[in-house]
Amino acid sequence: MREKEELVMVTPGEVLGKASELKAGRGAYVATHNNTVYASLTGRRSLNPPPSDSPDKVPPPSDSPDKRPTVEVTGHKAHGAVPVPGSIVIARVAKVMARMASADIMCVGSKSVREKFSGIIRHQDIRATEIDKVDMHSSFRPGDIVRASILSLGDARAYYLSTAKNELGVVSAESTAGATMVPISWTEMQCPLTGQIEQRKVAKV
Amino acid sequence: MAGKSGTAPTTYSPSPSTQNKKRRPIFNDADWVRSDGRGFPQCRPAFLRTGAVNSASGSAYAEFGNTKVIVSVFGPRESKKAMMYSDVGRLNCNVSYTTFATPVRGQGSDNKEFSSILHKALEGAIILDSFPKTTVDVFALVLESGGSDLPVVISCASLALADAGIMMYDLVASVSVSCLGKNLVIDPISEEESYQDGSLMITCMPSRNEVTQLTVTGEWSTPKIHEAMELCLDACSKLGNIMRSCLKETASASQE
Repeated sequence: MREKEELVMVTPGEVLGKASELKAGRGAYVATHNNTVYASLTGRRSLNPPPSDSPDKVPPPSDSPDKRPTVEVTGHKAHGAVPVPGSIVIARVAKVMARMASADIMCVGSKSVREKFSGIIRHQDIRATEIDKVDMHSSFRPGDIVRASILSLGDARAYYLSTAKNELGVVSAESTAGATMVPISWTEMQCPLTGQIEQRKVAKV
Repeated sequence: MAGKSGTAPTTYSPSPSTQNKKRRPIFNDADWVRSDGRGFPQCRPAFLRTGAVNSASGSAYAEFGNTKVIVSVFGPRESKKAMMYSDVGRLNCNVSYTTFATPVRGQGSDNKEFSSILHKALEGAIILDSFPKTTVDVFALVLESGGSDLPVVISCASLALADAGIMMYDLVASVSVSCLGKNLVIDPISEEESYQDGSLMITCMPSRNEVTQLTVTGEWSTPKIHEAMELCLDACSKLGNIMRSCLKETASASQE
């Protein structure tokens, strides 16, 4: 199909093509009753050709891969980001308790959220090693900025977050003197003004 | 629009009983003319615009004759703690009138019945799986009530949801019809609504040809209902095209 690359705006419910010719990507869906691909967002339609297997120039007819291009709709205004399991978020620690810390999610990936979502970092999700010896107050303090990954949707109250990787943990913290501390190891941060060393679960940059 | 609203009566006073009695038989004649000069199957002129409220994720403003409606959409945002856990998203709707919306100055009421009707009309069209555990709030405010308020609210709300980037199966268009004697009057104004024998409202997704809501009140015969539904569905598909052009205009402007 010779689809000219022009700026085509679509609205929800517009027909994008047949399901036998197109695969529905983001912003599109397949209606199973008539095998039609519709748009579900307002935005620009784009066609992505299928990934071609370059060594397999002549595919065997019995094992032919899916040759359909993927159609996507890029929203002109994406709504505020919604946390999904597996994504990396930036959160601010709100409260530290004996077995968990509550944090407010501020960014999902590189997109900020319009209104905060609550997250919980549980005792067993702080680091991958020596889980039994984790001390909550040696890992986080209220006001710290942490990078975490979303484990699951959690319960009705909060998403479950995890910092059990080297790249996850506290990325920014303030000392009691009010200065932003410098990470010096994976468990310690130092205040540049007073030289005071505080314990944190530090993220590897 | 300004000239037309100037000619149309913006303030309505209840007529004396003698005038009321005299006026009543006029609607039964087959050749009576509507007070704003429209034909029976003709809708009022529609003015639609998105992006009316800055602080909302999506918003839309709609004018149909004298009916003026503004809708704001917030979210997806966190559900309240009292809510149970849900794998799919939630939709909250609230329809309210301003104190100056009706000819008789009122308290500015939250309309519970309209809110539940709006919720039922919209939830069939929204892909709720795309935002699990979160809530989308829709607030509709009727600035002026000029007849057929609820269909205008529903159409404007679906426009606001599309503006907010909520994934939907299709836009939602809504039109109502009034039965006056032998005649079917589409998109009635307040005066026609007060004299109607029955009313019918259809909410449908025009591209997929599916009905999400059907409300019938008053006295109807079966062929009359069928005729009214055909009239409404035809008007809904035309309204859907107007809504699409409005969204494309806004989206193209933001792309530049």
